[in-house]
Amino acid sequence: MTAEKVITTTEKYAIPGLTNVLYLDMTDRSYSIVDRRDLYEKYLGGSGVAVNLMLEEYKEGTGPLDPEMPVILSTGPLSGVYPTCTKTVALFRSPLNGELGESYAGGHLAMSMRFAGCETIVIKGASKYPLYVSVHNDKVRFRDASSIWNLSSTIDVGKIIRDVEPGAGRRSIIRIGPAGEKGVKYASVNVDTYRHFGRLGLGAVFGAKKLKAIVISGDQEIRSPDHTAYKKQYKKLYDTIVKTGLMEKYHNLGTSENVLVLNELRGLPTRNLQGTSFEGAETISGEHFADNYLIRRVSCAGCPIGCIHVAMLKRPFSKAHEYETLNISYDFELIYALGSNLGVEDPKAVLELIDACEKTGVDIISMGVVLAWATEMLQKKKISTEETLGLELNWGDAAAYLRAIELVVRAPNEFYAALGKGVVYASKKYGGEEFAIHLGGLEIPGYHTGLGNILGLTMGVRHSHLDNAGYSADQKAFNKEMSDEEIIDMLIKEDDLRCMLNSLTICLFARNVYTYENVIEALAAIGIRKTEEELKELGRDTLKKKYELKKKFGFSFENLALPKRFFETASTTGMLEEERVKKALELYRKKRGL
Amino acid sequence: MAKRLKVANPARCIGCYSCMRACARTWYNTISLKNSRINIQTKGGIETPYAQIVCHACVDPPCMRACPIGALTKRKGGGVNFNREICDGCGKCVEACLMGAIHLDVENKAVICKHCGVCTKFCPHDVLEMIEVEDSGEVKVTDTGPVSPTESHKELYGKKEAEEGESGKEKAEEGESGKEEAEEENEKKKAERGSGKKEAEEVK
Repeated sequence: MTAEKVITTTEKYAIPGLTNVLYLDMTDRSYSIVDRRDLYEKYLGGSGVAVNLMLEEYKEGTGPLDPEMPVILSTGPLSGVYPTCTKTVALFRSPLNGELGESYAGGHLAMSMRFAGCETIVIKGASKYPLYVSVHNDKVRFRDASSIWNLSSTIDVGKIIRDVEPGAGRRSIIRIGPAGEKGVKYASVNVDTYRHFGRLGLGAVFGAKKLKAIVISGDQEIRSPDHTAYKKQYKKLYDTIVKTGLMEKYHNLGTSENVLVLNELRGLPTRNLQGTSFEGAETISGEHFADNYLIRRVSCAGCPIGCIHVAMLKRPFSKAHEYETLNISYDFELIYALGSNLGVEDPKAVLELIDACEKTGVDIISMGVVLAWATEMLQKKKISTEETLGLELNWGDAAAYLRAIELVVRAPNEFYAALGKGVVYASKKYGGEEFAIHLGGLEIPGYHTGLGNILGLTMGVRHSHLDNAGYSADQKAFNKEMSDEEIIDMLIKEDDLRCMLNSLTICLFARNVYTYENVIEALAAIGIRKTEEELKELGRDTLKKKYELKKKFGFSFENLALPKRFFETASTTGMLEEERVKKALELYRKKRGL
Repeated sequence: MAKRLKVANPARCIGCYSCMRACARTWYNTISLKNSRINIQTKGGIETPYAQIVCHACVDPPCMRACPIGALTKRKGGGVNFNREICDGCGKCVEACLMGAIHLDVENKAVICKHCGVCTKFCPHDVLEMIEVEDSGEVKVTDTGPVSPTESHKELYGKKEAEEGESGKEKAEEGESGKEEAEEENEKKKAERGSGKKEAEEVK
């Protein structure tokens, strides 16, 4: 292990702007901490800093799983400072669709990185054998992880590292499971058991680098140059979050409140989006889970809300009243992916399916869509049980799906290996592209609300429902007529805002709390002066640079695929025509100047 | 009337650390959690319940007995008052506290809870509460009726709910952050008077 170019924070308790970037090289197990104030001053942090680092680091032609392809984890100046600023962004090249991979996770990670004094981490290279990295303040170690490689559960990885590493209490442990090790293209990285870098396959990138886990803790002191202003601002934000109705949904049922809402609006993808309402919605609703299975709620570090809903599943394993209990966190997207979209209406079965995915470490949305596609392929006799090694897949048959999840990860034949490469790959190989429900090469989240949603997921730089206002634009259009242009304008405005918020890595659930005005005040109270125009420009600039990266990675407007299924099933706002979507895409592109 | 901090409902903790932040912010003028006088932590990851490590306000404090130079004196209502100026950082108080509620700061001075209660104002789930105690620190018997299963459970969210349950005075404070600020300052001054020591250097 060598240390080079070490520059540590010069001011005690520094705050205005951030300072360091920690570079890790997996190939020769070396690290360096470099002063990159220049980046933080211009781009604040989070996605703004990460995008610019990616442009610096990316060498033309490097594939997603090549050793030289960097992974960038970044937090922002508000992380660990204000309530609900709890996210860390991961930027990478997605092994699933080859494009820009961007994923956000909560848990203890952002606070741990901040208090360790490394607000951004760049990981390059690949090891010959499994390693994990420990970061405790400025102490960095690469440790042999061979003995925890091949463990069957991501949960166990956490348990073992907890015992061999210091910093107990508030540290963060991020790790991959079997899916990441074996290179499932939508493998996730588990963050502190209940949160994830879920979408677009960061787990497979970790696996390719032979990076099993990162544990990080820190207890550096930080201080605002104007403590009175900081205290006032903190209190204001805290009160807005805790004592007003702005975040009511997340205080209460959490995201799973959406199950009944979307079902009612006929926007809940069901049985591979053959329908948009599910007759079993009641038993997999947020209300039903809360009343029957919810045992506790927990928070990401520094968030007074506690939107992580943990259910207890009590399962008998003998006739002599013997039980095992599993604690499983659930959210709307998981219930859609493994519930309505697979026709599973038994909440216990949904929990068991979530648990299986958690242990193996895959993105649950992608896994659910892949299994739904495979089920329809079997039903339409486009494949037979020869491909599935005798396994019948039928809507609602959770036992079969449980086995299928295991088989996708173990990949015993070509078919299951194809399923592990995502629905685009599998449908190109076996057919059924018209009902492979993806947009931009990413399996869709749980909304079929109309034009806004499809546009947002296709054009949104992260292909994520939370990074664009698509489905909320549709909801608005459902309540009050909106022209397509108005929908597009709303998307563009929200895109810029959310790009800026992602540079501050606030949780987007709190997006209505962190208005431009509040962000400006919050930054000012810790000594960072920005105007609204500067923040808006930062949002636009970040988005532009993301498109620059996307294009380098092979994105083109001409190759956008719009599977037929989206035009065969009525959405919340009615039937969509392909022509209308294409026109809207053109208009979006024109308005954006892309 | 003496008061002390109590972990009233440990199982309701969601691990948001708002209380620790309030403590460090109020008494150390720092943002990070390091100098909080209370400690919320996991013991076996987030999948297990959070532990709240706070000063127990001992009636006969062992930390006070352990201090060889008299930097700790008995506090009205249990626990100790701390004289930061004479603390020499020997760490004997840290050892003496089985709760693990004392640690040393960067300047090697003890960090000890003074039961000001600011943490309870930032607990969204009533995990922490201030309770009335005898001057000696003995717990007072106040309630004699049957226990309601949701006792001490304030309505948590939404202004409307808070208004229903709270007294007018508290309502006003919630409405105006300026007043709350003043309240925080008052708490601080009160606690300072109580300890008979100024903590100017500590809060700088």
